[in-house]
Amino acid sequence: MLLAAVLLLFALVVYITYAVNLLNFPFDYDQGEGFELVDTILFSQWQTPYRNTEIYPFYASNYPPLYHILAAPFVWFFGDAYWYGRLLSFLSTLVTAAAIAYVVHRETQHRWIALFSGLAFLSSNTVYHIGALFRQHISMVMFETLAIVLLAYAFPKQHKRHIALGLLLLVAAGYTKQLAAITAIAVMIWLLLRNPRRGFLWTIAFGVVGSAIFLLLNMATNGEWWRQTIVANVGGINPLQVFDLFLLWLRLHGFLIVLALLMVLYEFYIDRISLFSLWFVTAALLGGIGSGTWGGGDSYFATSIAAMCILSGIFAGRTLQQKWSFPQNHPFFRRILQHRTRYIVSLQRVCWVVIPILYIGYGIATFKMPTYGIVFEQIATVFNLQPNVRGNFYDSATYAVPGYANIGYLTTQADIDAGYRIVELIQNMDAPVLSEEAGFVLAAGREVITNPTQLLNLWRAGQFEGDALIGMIERREFGLIILRAQFYPTPILEAIGQHYERTETIAMNHFEYLILRPKQ
Amino acid sequence: MMDEKPPVTFLRYILSKEFTFTKRHLGIVLLLIGGLGFVGILAIDVLNAGREGGIGPAQTAALGLMFLTALVGLSLIPLGDMPA
Repeated sequence: MLLAAVLLLFALVVYITYAVNLLNFPFDYDQGEGFELVDTILFSQWQTPYRNTEIYPFYASNYPPLYHILAAPFVWFFGDAYWYGRLLSFLSTLVTAAAIAYVVHRETQHRWIALFSGLAFLSSNTVYHIGALFRQHISMVMFETLAIVLLAYAFPKQHKRHIALGLLLLVAAGYTKQLAAITAIAVMIWLLLRNPRRGFLWTIAFGVVGSAIFLLLNMATNGEWWRQTIVANVGGINPLQVFDLFLLWLRLHGFLIVLALLMVLYEFYIDRISLFSLWFVTAALLGGIGSGTWGGGDSYFATSIAAMCILSGIFAGRTLQQKWSFPQNHPFFRRILQHRTRYIVSLQRVCWVVIPILYIGYGIATFKMPTYGIVFEQIATVFNLQPNVRGNFYDSATYAVPGYANIGYLTTQADIDAGYRIVELIQNMDAPVLSEEAGFVLAAGREVITNPTQLLNLWRAGQFEGDALIGMIERREFGLIILRAQFYPTPILEAIGQHYERTETIAMNHFEYLILRPKQ
Repeated sequence: MMDEKPPVTFLRYILSKEFTFTKRHLGIVLLLIGGLGFVGILAIDVLNAGREGGIGPAQTAALGLMFLTALVGLSLIPLGDMPA
């Protein structure tokens, strides 16, 4: 138990170190963070980011508004900055971990396992990867988890206020990110399974509230809400990416997935099916399939990881506390259960050894740490740990090995200096600047033009012509173009290739930023 | 004259305050979803004759999932009236 605790607590220290490092980094760490900041700034100015991308500045967002609305007050007090969005995300992971620990403790009264379950969530590489970013995904997971915890206890007891609050949290999750629809599906199925009458009535209430907000947003944005957040997001699924990400999920979390699946089997065949089990199965299956979309990644498994931590914790805690119950007349297990005392006592003795080993295994499987800096360098030297994050990839947008998300690079002063070098180039330019990441342009106090990934989403969905933007590029109206991943639609990239040339390359965070100027 | 109770319709029974799905009900539902889904996925190739390439990896995975769903459904049916 102690070794498992040491491993999981060390993972927490590494996660906090990573989060603090990112809080102090003033540019995009993950491609897209800057555009979430732009959305936040727009909301702080009582504007929405659901706009027509055919008109200058060609900007739009494909994400729902809640996370940005929550961050908007920070803009009033602190201006444009990344730290508050990252802090909100980081705090979301702590709240989620606390909710997981609460459920496991409530179900098992086992403090160690409750603690392990919460820490296991924070130790997950997926949570580490996205937990401290200015991205809305992990806040959605927090709202989902809180909703599930409330509903799992309130619905059987017919506690109307808590059910309503749980469903409102689910609406909040949906208006943080669309992927929460998967959790909503699990909730609706479970409500109907428990009692179709009440389930149906609550589903209608949920649908009315959710739809009303949807219609209001659509009316307020002249239909751009529908186009930008729904139509633009419909895309194909890459089966290879799904397969690789499932493998990654299994490889990292397999030790606890086994316990969670045992809990699911117990509930399916012996006890009643809990909302936690249905949530886990639905989130793993549908979230996993969704991870194969363009822009999807390991983060799509974050919800299933929260569910996994709850279920594995309940299984482990019940076993250690000898809290299992089996009906004597079960059709399948009648014979076994006649001798249950003998079998179960033997099994539990084995589990007292096996369960801590599983948590140790999980701690090792999800182990990651910097190999430089105070304390970490000494630990790396003592245990002969070599860095295995290959230089130029650490985010889920890029797959060195298909499905593999390299993570964890701590930013340095050299990265910050490189970012400010790009900012300086922008400040020295009178003409507008087209930058693939918004952070540099914001730091330079200039207008952000376009959101490349959203243009690509729209273009793929046949919703973006881009004549005006292409015209500006052809007339060489941009003084500078800054590229990194080249996520613009093909016609835009072709126009850039014809009219601009690379004059400089600046490295930041192991990425190469291409500085392009108009061809002479 | 004998008191005659009004017949309880199936829908009214399901929508009663006390009703909850049993393992058998759930088993039947999953068996139907899995079975129909399996046939439906295979039918894509039959109905869409011009489609080339046969059964791809995504289709194979979906078939496996439907088969598993049907199997789980089948195994739940013997559990009878245990609440799901």
